[in-house]
Amino acid sequence: MSVQFKEHYVSQYSALQASLPGTGLPWLNALRKQALDRFSRSGFPSPREEEWRYTNVAPIERKLFSPFVGTASVDSASLARYRVDGAACLVFVDGQFNAALSTVPEPGEDIVICPMGEAMEKHPDLVEKHFGSVIQRESSGFLSFNTALFTDGALVFLPEGMKIDCPLQLLYVSASPDVLSTARNLVVAQPGSQVEIIESYVGLGDAGYLTAAVTELLVADDSYVTWSKLQSENGRAFHFGGLYADVGPNGRLDHSSFSFGGLLVRNEVHVDLAEASECSLDGLFLATGRQHVDNHTRIGHRKPHGVSREFYKGILDQRARGVFQGRVIVDQYAQKTDSEMNNRNLLLSSDAEIDIKPQLEIYADDVKCAHGVTVGQIEDESVFYLQSRGVDAVAARNMLTFAFANEMVGKIDRPALRSLVQDELLDALPATNLRKEWL
Amino acid sequence: MSTSTQEIEKLIGQDYKQGFVTDLDADTFPPGLNEDVIAAISAKKKEPEFLLEWRLKAYRHWLTLKSPEWAFVKFPPIDYQAMSYYSAPKDKGDGPKSIEEVDPKLLETYKKLGIPLAEQERLAGVAVDAIFDSVSVATTFKEKLAEAGVIFCPISEAVQTHPELVQQYLGSVVPVSDNYFAALNSAVFTDGSFVFIPKGVRCPMELSTYFRINAANTGQFERTLIIAEESSHVSYLEGCTAPMRDENQLHAAVVELVALDNAEIKYSTVQNWYPGDENGVGGIYNFVTKRGDCRGQNSKISWTQVETGSAITWKYPSCVLTGDNSVGEFYSVALTNNHQQADTGTKMIHIGKNTRSTIISKGISAGKAQNIYRGLVKVLKGAENARNYTQCDSLLIGDKCGAHTFPYMEIRQPTAQVEHEASTSKISEDQLFYCMQRGISAEDAVCMIVNGFCKEVFKELPMEFAVEAQALLGISLEGSVG
Amino acid sequence: MLSIENLHVSVGDKQILKGISLNIGHGEVHAIMGPNGSGKSTLAHVLAGRDGYTVNSGTVRYNGVDLLDLAPEERAREGVFLAFQYPVEIPGVSNIVLLKAALNSIRKHKGLDELDAMDFISLVKSKTKLVDMDEKFLYRAVNEGFSGGEKKRNEILQMAVLEPRLAILDETDSGLDIDAIKIVSDGVNALRSEDRSIVLVTHYQRLLDYIKPDFVHVLAGGRIVKSGDASLALELEDRGYGWVQQHAGA
Repeated sequence: MSVQFKEHYVSQYSALQASLPGTGLPWLNALRKQALDRFSRSGFPSPREEEWRYTNVAPIERKLFSPFVGTASVDSASLARYRVDGAACLVFVDGQFNAALSTVPEPGEDIVICPMGEAMEKHPDLVEKHFGSVIQRESSGFLSFNTALFTDGALVFLPEGMKIDCPLQLLYVSASPDVLSTARNLVVAQPGSQVEIIESYVGLGDAGYLTAAVTELLVADDSYVTWSKLQSENGRAFHFGGLYADVGPNGRLDHSSFSFGGLLVRNEVHVDLAEASECSLDGLFLATGRQHVDNHTRIGHRKPHGVSREFYKGILDQRARGVFQGRVIVDQYAQKTDSEMNNRNLLLSSDAEIDIKPQLEIYADDVKCAHGVTVGQIEDESVFYLQSRGVDAVAARNMLTFAFANEMVGKIDRPALRSLVQDELLDALPATNLRKEWL
Repeated sequence: MSTSTQEIEKLIGQDYKQGFVTDLDADTFPPGLNEDVIAAISAKKKEPEFLLEWRLKAYRHWLTLKSPEWAFVKFPPIDYQAMSYYSAPKDKGDGPKSIEEVDPKLLETYKKLGIPLAEQERLAGVAVDAIFDSVSVATTFKEKLAEAGVIFCPISEAVQTHPELVQQYLGSVVPVSDNYFAALNSAVFTDGSFVFIPKGVRCPMELSTYFRINAANTGQFERTLIIAEESSHVSYLEGCTAPMRDENQLHAAVVELVALDNAEIKYSTVQNWYPGDENGVGGIYNFVTKRGDCRGQNSKISWTQVETGSAITWKYPSCVLTGDNSVGEFYSVALTNNHQQADTGTKMIHIGKNTRSTIISKGISAGKAQNIYRGLVKVLKGAENARNYTQCDSLLIGDKCGAHTFPYMEIRQPTAQVEHEASTSKISEDQLFYCMQRGISAEDAVCMIVNGFCKEVFKELPMEFAVEAQALLGISLEGSVG
Repeated sequence: MLSIENLHVSVGDKQILKGISLNIGHGEVHAIMGPNGSGKSTLAHVLAGRDGYTVNSGTVRYNGVDLLDLAPEERAREGVFLAFQYPVEIPGVSNIVLLKAALNSIRKHKGLDELDAMDFISLVKSKTKLVDMDEKFLYRAVNEGFSGGEKKRNEILQMAVLEPRLAILDETDSGLDIDAIKIVSDGVNALRSEDRSIVLVTHYQRLLDYIKPDFVHVLAGGRIVKSGDASLALELEDRGYGWVQQHAGA
């Protein structure tokens, strides 16, 4: 069985090789080949690996997914609810850029925003220079898998001092059964630049599929990148999404992750911080039914005076299983690091489970690092207070659950995005009878 | 005037005062480990048949295991054939009947360690079992304890005098197959203490065991078993020291505690094995499996440890909270300096309803040391209303050491409330200056700050040990015992 | 409207209320005073239906129904309001959301339509003036980060919006300075009416300087040891609780 899926993907590569983006670039072919070799040796990660101890991806190995060949047809109206008002939008359907559904901005002034296939033709030097510069070591099977097989993605390049005013949405739609959606994104924010990116994953049909998306993000000196990820895959989907970011001196990355969909989900965020750079990682994950959602973050403080703030909340209902792993590493030279991590979880059902692993690895002495974790349920005292005001117990619990989650949504600055995430949240949670205008 | 980090480090680093060797004739097995050696240990201890069988079963299982590699510690592979598994001072005849018959050199050794055993010098209110390499050389207050129904004796003696208790409880908390070092210990353990507190008895005095490694090139394999029957209470303390040698020596212990309904066991450790020199040469490998089973309802097991010694510490005193309403506690101070490595923490396994656990861990890291807290809080499905509070704080002194926190939380019960907090900080020059500006010497200021950092743990120690623990950290005692 | 007969209540093994009898008529204001631990707050909580108290014997009739039979929210919808001694902080739930959910459930219970958004907001805004509260508090999470005085004012605001028939104010003056007591008392006085009874639970007489009670009861050791009119409170102030306790023992 395990051999079968590896062979399947090796043969997929051979079949598709000629049509993959950048197929004419020897350096990329070599890179893909090496990654494929690594994948065919190691396969997907195993729970025996410490970083995967709470997530078993064997169900992914039991099915064989294939990249879509041809043109999938998706009705523009079905995407309306996922579009962020006022954002430029690159839409990828089943791993392929779809120009008809997209609104590609033309910002000019050497700013590049284009799908990876086009980028390999028009900006091969730019891609070669930055591709693989953040991910130098492919630490998990999914990375090798993505490098070998990615079928598209986005290239965003901001020259020094440039700012894109409207946010850029990358909308990944899976529409075909058993499809493999592998996007590889590369975002380079040169010194002093600024951009806001919204990454959305959506599943349209009822059938299962596999998303394996990887993004490399370079935030150069004094740059500021805001990154939001909204994961609304369908209930049979497998999702691996990894963001790997390098933040340069005085740079800043604000990342927030909202994970609502998918059957088996792994959200990874890796950030390495240079001198006096900052990052904030916020997250909200909801899971119900038999969903399994794993949130894995790693913040590396490599140089002095870095600041990191992390706050994740999880809500698990029915038979869902949640995982939060947050790792903070402070190198020996990263003095004056200031790092805080918080994780709060709510278990709503006696069959729900959560595994949590916050980790601090500290090699410098003059640092302020803290983490806090709680698991609990809604406090009886709060329920009683609402009851004493006339709200029944079930409604009170739902209201408090929503409030618990909505705290994370409330942190979103952009109203259009906040409203979109709130709609998803109201859909995902038990009915609260809350009307949006009161939030 | 400012105090540099180097000076702070100097204040923390102290000479190892227990590093002397007692020169006496010993009966020592040649190095090597096989089934014959195990049979020879069993014969030396005049053990019943079942125990030899049990040892051999453990040994055969151990042969199938690999040394664990998941801990955050580094050491060259241990050659288990190169060390001796039994060493005891030669005695005339069948072992000492009373303190008066103990070799004066041994009495002198313990006196030097601050543990006088002779009748007229004993510490009042503390019964002591003195274990020297592979044997117990003396146990004080045995008769007085027997009057209360308490059994306190070397485990090698209990094996002969109370085989049914040993057979019932040995390995019932830490099975022979539990882990690599527990399996090894089960095969080759030589001595340790046995405590049995019968139903309804509150042990009239503190019980304590003092472990001394003396012989070179030997491993010490301690086995301790404490049983507290229904509604009984005991407080037990252990201390450990060893000579300064350039070779690493292995201390692989297994400690099992069983608390039945309404029973309470308080287990305190001040571990001061030789830590090696400032270049990381020598020192004890302290690879220990300690676990308590709160088997009865409303039972309580509390671990308190002050770990300052050993080149490497690998130790996770744990509580299995089986009984409804049972309580587990873990209070720990671990100080590592120079090249010491400590990977220590606890496991709290919540099985029964309304079970509660508290974890307070304080790690202090100086020099080039690595100090790791590793803990697991597991709440099983049936453990309704389980509560855990965990706090682990690290203090770093100098920029060449490391402090790491690896907590794991596995929650299967929605009514559980689990709370975990961790922080890392340093002694800042501002704090020192502030103290000094108020007229306090730098040395006292460091002591004060470290002591304040550890206070929540020290207050859990019995008085006698709190004093010793603070002295070990180089802390002035004045007004500091909380 | 409220009739408590021989009420015995325990918490765990401990008897707290040992036979309380009390009748409260429409529009009356009753003060229940007593030393710490006398059972004042227990009485308030039992009336509101809080968990953790065992009613061993006795009855509580409220407008003809058995109050003890009702769930806390049913009591609230029937018009019982408890102003908490320690108002609970509810992060993430704004005051306005709480008030709307509460008011609509009470209106629904009464067979009234839900208020539309405009009417609701203007109603709430008009009430904020009563307790001298900035409107922006409405959009903050319930009691989160509020000062002691702001929390108590917020309780009175909720009372004003929900218009209960029986309001129980548990130690509403505790932790307040004189200015804050005045604001809270003005709010309560404005809400006094023919068809609203009020129970003031307090340790000190000073609140009664601002809210004049019709009746004063002294609770000690789980029993009402003395009842009288407003002058009893003044007498207590002079002579201390020791006096009534002795008095009761004699």
